[in-house]
Amino acid sequence: MFEHAGDAMRIEFIVEKTLERFGPAGPMEPSHAPETLRFPRSFPRCDPLPLTALIVSRRMSEPVVDDKAQKEAFDRYVVPEIEVLYRVARSITRNPTDAEDLVQDTMLRAYRAILRFDGRHPRAWLLTIMRNAQINRVRRKRPELLRDPDAAMERLADEDSADLGPEAIVVESQYDAAVEKAVDALPEKFRSVVELVDIQGLSYAEAAEIMGVPTGTVMSRLHRARTRIRKHLESSGAYVNGRPT
Amino acid sequence: MIRRGRLRRNKPEVNCREVGKVLQSYLDNDVEDDFAEKIAQHLEACKECGLEVATYQQIKTSLAAKMPEVDPDAIERLRTFGAQISGDPTEA
Repeated sequence: MFEHAGDAMRIEFIVEKTLERFGPAGPMEPSHAPETLRFPRSFPRCDPLPLTALIVSRRMSEPVVDDKAQKEAFDRYVVPEIEVLYRVARSITRNPTDAEDLVQDTMLRAYRAILRFDGRHPRAWLLTIMRNAQINRVRRKRPELLRDPDAAMERLADEDSADLGPEAIVVESQYDAAVEKAVDALPEKFRSVVELVDIQGLSYAEAAEIMGVPTGTVMSRLHRARTRIRKHLESSGAYVNGRPT
Repeated sequence: MIRRGRLRRNKPEVNCREVGKVLQSYLDNDVEDDFAEKIAQHLEACKECGLEVATYQQIKTSLAAKMPEVDPDAIERLRTFGAQISGDPTEA
């Protein structure tokens, strides 16, 4: 994906060495960037790095390099995934405005990191970025989540469904409506996997990326979620399996 | 993908217990083709397992139909945003 194979790796190396030499707080002008460095032998062979194109920002963590390569990589790997990202964002934020903000946040982060991306599995890479962006957004809104995100997320889910008592789960004449109620009644960690895999159509692996859990966990949550949905349908008397339960 | 050992794959048939273990992966097309074929044969012959699969398939079908319509304006705004990020003057 890079015009010069290994550029991103070299740039990271230069930034790392520059940080070692000058520290993170001091001003950093391009002329201070080391112009010659012995790169480790493990680095891929490539044409000489165009050091003149390297500008180390004052924050030093954001090297600005070849705009053209960055744009091309962004157009190639990110733009085609915008609709999928928005669908997933709708699922995890449950709000169109928040979803749009989350996708914008994800796109910005992806653009900044695109030259370090190896080009493999762009959707999975973007979903990981989105997951991290969402975690930060939730933390900003609910600082207490910092202490125990998982427990707090479950509390939030409980709060969300606190008004769904047994009497609210009534028998629906429409099977689909009953399924929808069953999904709504699921704990968040089960509901989200159903939404990602069964509704949005993501693979197990893609759902695992966005949820930040192993693929096996996605499978087990999904299977348990479907079992719960089935039991819910049975207990509500919904039509299951072509026959009333 | 559920990996099955050679011995298991070569077994002529699968039983209800084995089908129950992989039933949902089977519904998600996440078992190997030859094993899926054996499961399919079992499902044709076993009414109980066949009904079990039909139940979950019905749930999956219902869920798949729930994919919400995406607001095309939102997608367009995001595409424009993307073009602005990457500095495309024709889109921004």
